[in-house]
Amino acid sequence: MILIGELSLWVALLMATWGTTVGFAGGYYKRSELIASAERASYATFGFLLLAALGLWTALLHSDFSFRYVASYTSANLPSIYKVTAFWAGQSGSLLLWAFILSGYSAIAVWTNRSRNRELMPYVTATLSAITLFFVMTLCFGSNPYERLDWIPPDGTGLNPQLQNPGMAIHPPNLYLGYIGTAIPFAFAIAALITRRLDAGWLAAVRRWTLVSWFFNTTGIILGMWWAYVELGWGGYWAWDPVENASFLPWLVNTAFLHSIMVQEKRGMLRKWNVTLVVSAFLLAILGTFITRSGVISSVHSFAQSNVGTWFLSFLVLAIAVTVYLVATRLNDLEAKAELESLVSREASFLFNNLLLVGIAFAVLWGTLFPILSEAVTNNKITVGPPFFNKVNVPLGLALLALTGIGPLIAWRRASAENLKRQFTGPVLVGITTGAALFAFGMRDFGALVAYTLCGFVSGTIVQEFWKGVGARRRMYGENAVMALVRLVARNRRRYGGYIVHVGIVVLFAAFAGLAFKEEFDVTLKGGENYEAVDPYGNQWRFVSQGVSRYDELNRQTTAVLLDAFRNGKRVGVIKTEKRQYVDSRGVPTFQPATEVGIMEGIREDVYVVLAGVIGEDTAEMRITFNPLVWWVWYGGMIMAIGGLIVMWPQAERRRAQAGYSTVLQPAEQKA
Amino acid sequence: MMGRRRFLVASAAGAAGVATLAIARAAGAQEAGSQVNTGAANAPMESDRYKPVQLAAKGSPVMNQAKRDELEHHLHCQCGCNLDVYTCRTTDFSCEVSPAMHRDVMALVAGGYSAPEIIAAFTNVYGDRVLMAPPTSGFDIAAWITPFVALLAGIALVLVVLRRLRGPALAPAIAPSVADATPTEQARLDALVRSDDR
Repeated sequence: MILIGELSLWVALLMATWGTTVGFAGGYYKRSELIASAERASYATFGFLLLAALGLWTALLHSDFSFRYVASYTSANLPSIYKVTAFWAGQSGSLLLWAFILSGYSAIAVWTNRSRNRELMPYVTATLSAITLFFVMTLCFGSNPYERLDWIPPDGTGLNPQLQNPGMAIHPPNLYLGYIGTAIPFAFAIAALITRRLDAGWLAAVRRWTLVSWFFNTTGIILGMWWAYVELGWGGYWAWDPVENASFLPWLVNTAFLHSIMVQEKRGMLRKWNVTLVVSAFLLAILGTFITRSGVISSVHSFAQSNVGTWFLSFLVLAIAVTVYLVATRLNDLEAKAELESLVSREASFLFNNLLLVGIAFAVLWGTLFPILSEAVTNNKITVGPPFFNKVNVPLGLALLALTGIGPLIAWRRASAENLKRQFTGPVLVGITTGAALFAFGMRDFGALVAYTLCGFVSGTIVQEFWKGVGARRRMYGENAVMALVRLVARNRRRYGGYIVHVGIVVLFAAFAGLAFKEEFDVTLKGGENYEAVDPYGNQWRFVSQGVSRYDELNRQTTAVLLDAFRNGKRVGVIKTEKRQYVDSRGVPTFQPATEVGIMEGIREDVYVVLAGVIGEDTAEMRITFNPLVWWVWYGGMIMAIGGLIVMWPQAERRRAQAGYSTVLQPAEQKA
Repeated sequence: MMGRRRFLVASAAGAAGVATLAIARAAGAQEAGSQVNTGAANAPMESDRYKPVQLAAKGSPVMNQAKRDELEHHLHCQCGCNLDVYTCRTTDFSCEVSPAMHRDVMALVAGGYSAPEIIAAFTNVYGDRVLMAPPTSGFDIAAWITPFVALLAGIALVLVVLRRLRGPALAPAIAPSVADATPTEQARLDALVRSDDR
């Protein structure tokens, strides 16, 4: 199997080369047999990359240390589940995962469009094959997972302890599914530009793919936050690390596109902008991968450094050049087909929503790359860390939150003064009441007060939208409230699924604002000693050390401290925090000690304990952090994912037409 | 003569070229020094990156522990990690740099120095790389200004686009809307207003 996998990688290279060549040739010469061959090559590439992936998994599971990759990322005593996930622990394995997922996506796109978008498909197939070809070339010539060692070591290096976590099993594949999902809309955009078929037709094909990309990008980011929180011990879930930023950039641009696409569908506007967003999302995904792979910027993900940076940079430059040329030569085909009737309209609010999303993306990209620019200009190394990103992005984020509440309240085309008054009164009152109540209860942090006021406002908007929709169904069909709510969402998945995503955004912002009240304490305790602290809610906590213990587990030597936790005098549980020294099958330490954070989770706050060190036999140095509302981050993310699924879920054509889903906006709906 | 569109494309290409060269240079330097298949956690901490920051005491402390911890969130640990001094020293079992930097901070706090004075002392010894955010002077102020300049430029662009998109249909937005008109009446009104505008 391993040999078959190794050979399959090279055959996939040939298949992708063939698919690219005959795809473009078939499109150009309009030769149906070449087009059909390119499409079959796309299926074959997927098949061979599947075999290549199975081969690598087999080598990993059999601990075949004759392969450099297996020896570098596993050891004989590594639990089997982590031998499976070691597939994407290193450079070449994760590149193979990229190529494999991309070929799978390509095969699905080709299959689902076998009788649709036929004018576009030759170029879609060829573009996807070209991207796959780049990855397979990088694998074959730059970073081959099947590279063999001159000798077979007795054991492997083992897997980085930080990657021995369930979060790492699912976070990278999720993120890759999101990243790579941007390739399909990109291929459709390139095909639409080449064929000059830039009407709304190609947008319909890419909307669902963008949603797929957005969905996995969202879940990937949230899972990554969870992994960072429970595994790294920094005390937070987002550190504005360059690689975190790289994952955030396509998300922001995809989110902007999912809003602006509505303007083009309903009003025929923003055509240039939408093409730009679609291609930018893909280019940013490649840029993100370049940042991750090249090590050009110092990052926590530096374990993935290697020599493929130049490959990615070359591909990025080529992709930008092709895209800029195609867009520049087709600007006339991208002119708007309609006029804006008022500045106070849904479409105008979407423009500002896009401006903020792209503005945040620019600020994040700028901050991420600025150290390179600064060093090139001043020859000084500088750091652009969380203080910068927080200062720049917090006001932009709050403005975006405000627009999340404003957008749905403004009608398409034109909103009258009466309409605005009727729509805004309720949500504004909810927002002001929220802010005033929190101020009355003693909250004095300005940023948090603004955030919670806006959260109240946006919640008011969402509740009002559901309330009106349910009310309308109850009047029209005589349904009870629950049935009306279920059917309202089911019949208008795009709109109300979107509002559910907005609920998730509100919950996330509420959680982010909670960080303003985070409290940290350095604690040194001997066995039997206790430490008292007050949390942000004014509760009196007492932590009693049960002492330091040391023992062996699976593939590690563990040093653990147990704390009895008391809140307001009542025992509420035990928190265990650990340091782990991982060893190979011969008992030789493989990596430096890793943190295993002790977390007592709660809906109001987490108690987060990190063992920083042990002095002598029984004295532990710890950091105890009260992290308010962290739980809300995970559930906000889940709500967003559920909303995304509802929006994505296929809808029967008949119902779609009933809901006004795929039809041009009718005058009666304009005042909704 | 070069048209506006061509000029924009040429400018973008030029800027992209300069940026690419800078990134390629950085990537090349990085690749030259990178080692394949070595985990970051495997790399030894470079304790020699620590440099003493010491000043003679000038008075009694003006900062409490919370403010000192907050200050340490603004100093970049020099061990090679991406963390601030506080987070690194309270997380990383094996780092020798952040505890040493912490000791210097404690000594300066005990010597009566304020947060800005301590940050200045660290910057004098390590340079700007000891800060967790770019300085607000010299070239690096561009880091802070550019996102907002870009946003303002974006707002201006959006307003220009909106003006272009509005075309002759601006009048209905300004004219009082007839909220209770039926869709048919509203459409007829819109058509009339448009014909008036022409």
